[in-house]
Amino acid sequence: MIREDEFASAAATGNVEHVGMLLQDGVDVNAVNRFGRTPLQVMMMGNTAVARLLLENGANPNVSDHSTGTTPLHDAAREGFLDTVKLLIQFQADISVKDYRSRRPIDLAQENGHLNVVYFLESL
Amino acid sequence: MAQDAAVQYEPVAEIGGGAYGTVYKARDRQSGQFVALKSVRVQTDQDGLPLSTVREVALLKRLEQFDHPNVVKLMDVCATLRTDHETKVTLVFEHVDQDLKTYLDKAPSPGLPASQIQDLMQQLMCGLAFLHSNCIIHRDLKPENILVTSRGQVKLADFGLARIYSCHMALTPVVVTLWYRAPEVLLQSTYATPVDIWSTGCIFAEMFRRKPLFCGESEVDQLGKIFEVIGLPTEEDWPTDVTLSQRNFSPFSNRPITDFVPEISHQGADLLLEMLTFDPLRRISALNALDHLYFQEG
Ligand SMILES: Nc1ncnc2c1ncn2[C@@H]1O[C@H](COP(=O)(O)OP(=O)(O)O)[C@@H](O)[C@H]1O
Ligand SMILES: [Mg+2]
Repeated sequence: MIREDEFASAAATGNVEHVGMLLQDGVDVNAVNRFGRTPLQVMMMGNTAVARLLLENGANPNVSDHSTGTTPLHDAAREGFLDTVKLLIQFQADISVKDYRSRRPIDLAQENGHLNVVYFLESL
Repeated sequence: MAQDAAVQYEPVAEIGGGAYGTVYKARDRQSGQFVALKSVRVQTDQDGLPLSTVREVALLKRLEQFDHPNVVKLMDVCATLRTDHETKVTLVFEHVDQDLKTYLDKAPSPGLPASQIQDLMQQLMCGLAFLHSNCIIHRDLKPENILVTSRGQVKLADFGLARIYSCHMALTPVVVTLWYRAPEVLLQSTYATPVDIWSTGCIFAEMFRRKPLFCGESEVDQLGKIFEVIGLPTEEDWPTDVTLSQRNFSPFSNRPITDFVPEISHQGADLLLEMLTFDPLRRISALNALDHLYFQEG
C-alpha cells in the first residue's frame, strides 16, 4: 500500500496512533489516496480524536467529494456526530455549502432526524 | 442479484483486508450515504456460482428479512463476472461511522457510566442471540467489529461470511484476534457458539477497565493470562482432544474478578464469570445471559 492509501485507511478505521505516526513522518495531511480522497474525507466520522489530529495539522475541512459534492461536514451532520460537527466548524468548515443535490449539512441532519445537530447548526 | 456494484458504489478507502477479500468504505452515488463493500472472489464453472456461495448469500438475505436492530443491514448483493472461471461477489452493508473501540476511547474520564455499559451489553447480547439462533458463529468479536451509531445503537459487523455451520460441526482453528479468543480456540479443540460469549465477556470487562482484559502475545501466553484470572482448570475439565497439557501451566487459583474489574456491580461480576467459564458447555448462552439479573439492575 502506498503511504497516502495507508494514511487514508488509518483515518477511516479510526486508528489515532497510526495517523499520528504518519503525520510525524511528514506525510502531507491533504494528500489524496488512490481513490482521490483526503484522510479527512474518509475518516471514521465518530472518531473526534482523529478529526482533531487531522484538523490541527492543517487538514482542509472544505474539500468536497468530486462525485457528489459532499463535504466532511455534510457527512458528520448526516451521521449525527455532533462533536465532529463542532470541531469541523471550529476549523472553519463552511456551513452553507451545498452538495450536487443542493443539500446543506443542516438539511442532511434534518432528513436523518439528528435534532441535536440541527439545533446546533441553527444556533450559529 | 444486481449486476454492477461499480456503477452505484464508489470506493473511497480500504478499511479491511481479510483472508477472503477486501473491505472498502464506499459512497452510494444515489443516496450520498456511505456503505461498506465486502468483496469475495469465487471460482465459477459453467453452472455459475458454487452452491456453497449461493447458500451463504441466501442465508444472509434471509437474516436480513428480520431487520434485526443489532446487526448491520445487508443492503445489496452484486455479482460481477470477472473471467470465465471467477466471479466477484460484493456484499453491500450499511456503514456505521463509529466502532466500540472509538466509543470507549472517547468516553470522558472515568469512563462509561454503569447504565450505559448495561445498555451496550444488552444490545450486544440481543445481536448475538439472533445470530446464534440462526446457527451463525461470529468468531471474530472484538471492539473493532462492534459498531455504535451516533444514537448509541449497537450493530454487529463482520459476521457476513462467517462459515455457516451445521449446529455442532467442528471448524478449522483460525479466526478471532488473540486477546478475545476463547480457551477452546487457543487449545485448538472443537468449538461452537460459546466462543462468541467468551469474546463478549472480555469486551464486557474492557468496558469497565478501558483496557483489554487478557493481552497475550502468543496462544500459550494468552492461556496463561486467562488462568491467572479464572484459575487453572482441573484435569477433568481439560479437553481430551488437545495436544497441550494442563501441566504446562502454573497452578494458579482463581482470584476475585473484582481485582481485575473493580467498578463492576455484584450481578455484573456474576454474569461476567458465567461468560468467562472455561468449559464451553457450561458457559452461559446469549439467550440465558439476557435473562440474567444483571439486566434488571437499574
Ligand atoms: N458495516 C460496516 N460499517 C463500518 N465499518 C465496518 C463495517 N464492516 C466492517 N467495518 C470495519 O472494517 C473493518 C474490517 O472489516 P471486516 O468486515 O472486519 O473484515 P475483515 O476482518 O475480514 O478484514 C472492521 O474491523 C470494521 O472496523
Ligand atoms: Mg474483522
